[in-house]
Amino acid sequence: MVAKRSIAVAALAAAGVVAVRRARAHSGLRPGPAEWFAVTVACDPAELSAANRPDALAELAEHHEVRITPAPGGRGTELAVRSADGSVRERVRAIKQLLETGEVLRVEGQPEGHRTVLGRAALPVTRQLMRRGVR
Amino acid sequence: MKALCWAGVNELAVQEVPDPAILNRQDVVVRVVASSTCGSDLHLLDGYVPTMMAGDVIGHEFLGEVVEVGPDVRERRVGERVVVCSIIGCGRCRNCRAEMWSLCDNSNPDPGFLETLNGHATAGIFGYSHAMGGFAGSHAEYIRVPYGDVNAFPVPEGVADANAVFASDAVPTGWMGADIAGIRPGDVVAVWGCGGVGQMAIRAAYLMGAERVIAIDRFPERLTMAAERVGAETLDYEKVDVLDALKEATGGRGPDVCIEAVGMEGHGTGAQYAYDRIKQATRLQTDRGLPLRQAIHACRKGGTVSVLGVYLGFVDKFPMGAVMNKGLTLRSGQQHGQRYIPMILDRMSRGEIDASHLLTHPMSLDDGPRGYELFKNKEDGCVRAVFTP
Repeated sequence: MVAKRSIAVAALAAAGVVAVRRARAHSGLRPGPAEWFAVTVACDPAELSAANRPDALAELAEHHEVRITPAPGGRGTELAVRSADGSVRERVRAIKQLLETGEVLRVEGQPEGHRTVLGRAALPVTRQLMRRGVR
Repeated sequence: MKALCWAGVNELAVQEVPDPAILNRQDVVVRVVASSTCGSDLHLLDGYVPTMMAGDVIGHEFLGEVVEVGPDVRERRVGERVVVCSIIGCGRCRNCRAEMWSLCDNSNPDPGFLETLNGHATAGIFGYSHAMGGFAGSHAEYIRVPYGDVNAFPVPEGVADANAVFASDAVPTGWMGADIAGIRPGDVVAVWGCGGVGQMAIRAAYLMGAERVIAIDRFPERLTMAAERVGAETLDYEKVDVLDALKEATGGRGPDVCIEAVGMEGHGTGAQYAYDRIKQATRLQTDRGLPLRQAIHACRKGGTVSVLGVYLGFVDKFPMGAVMNKGLTLRSGQQHGQRYIPMILDRMSRGEIDASHLLTHPMSLDDGPRGYELFKNKEDGCVRAVFTP
């Protein structure tokens, strides 16, 4: 019963997310898939440019079009990557974290109680989906 | 170690789980001494937060002793007694630097769900679902705390555990509700909900100069506590019409500031409440909104409504007409605890804030499921059950 209810809650939540995405798609705000994935990093543009840029960003720039622009109002630097798939979005987020905090936050390996068989299988997939985001 | 785990909707279990380890260089590990139930946990229990998984360790309001520090930790030391903010900040992103810690860009490593639901993700929270980062919670013997230097605060000697534990969440959340509302000397403030957060919002409102604070609830023991411990005038919404009573009490103006400390599972009376229950039960809306609508309706023209209760998604029949036409200011947010905790600990050590009366049920972690039953059903006058591992 509890499992059924949990699945029902999850299904409805998923349906809600789909509804939000559909509403957004039909709102006219977003005519098609976004071309660029962008984050703002609290650092000087020079830290993301030329020889100063971190290795992870240099690697990304080998295969993707990358745009670095100063953010307005002294808010740091806008880092945008074109045609970013899930794995690229994860790497962009990691670059921002590393530059701002000096580390990429981990949650794998924390204490956890008894997972159900379904839960054990679903957790890594869910986590990856949430880490990368749906676009 | 032992930990209290979410095992399904309305199902909790004390389980044996692995000990936490330092996962990042700025982490600290804390031996938990006291870990409180919180009203927001009830949304997890009742199944309204969809990214919970069986086996997740819950709990987010806690105090303990630092037992291990990562190699890049500079401020915290092993042996320190600390209270940890329930919401995790990195301390370095633009929002943390602007003291809007619950809007941290970096402390939620899995932001996808919230980005889709809300447009942007907010900070990670201990023991509060995978949408909020999937961090293991504090109802356990030990807990790993990321960015230990900015999230764990040494507790001054002389402040008891039973008081300081609430500096993790209930007190800073209540304080923030009053702070963001911009309370001025002479204001009349109304507070919906006399749980821990509501009572601390009442205390904060008085400390900020409010002349009168009127508290609204239905549980006699909570109303009595709000009157005797934090000095509120009280209204039992099952006995009086709240809107009429507030108008009468304010010479027809309405309260200058209305603080909603209830959230998505608020109770009420009448047809509007029945409507909300049915829509939420059938998942046609995620959040019930009666106290919020009432706060907006009651608020004086040009006043401020400050929303502390936790909402997850969508509230139906939101009275935008009242917000717009009365020129209201709507403020909200998860607590920016790190902004307030040092000041709160200082006030606790001077005796200006005492939250220890909230701790009505000290319990062993082994009795965690029973503690939540008491807390959820408000049995035996329970305001907060606090677990000691």
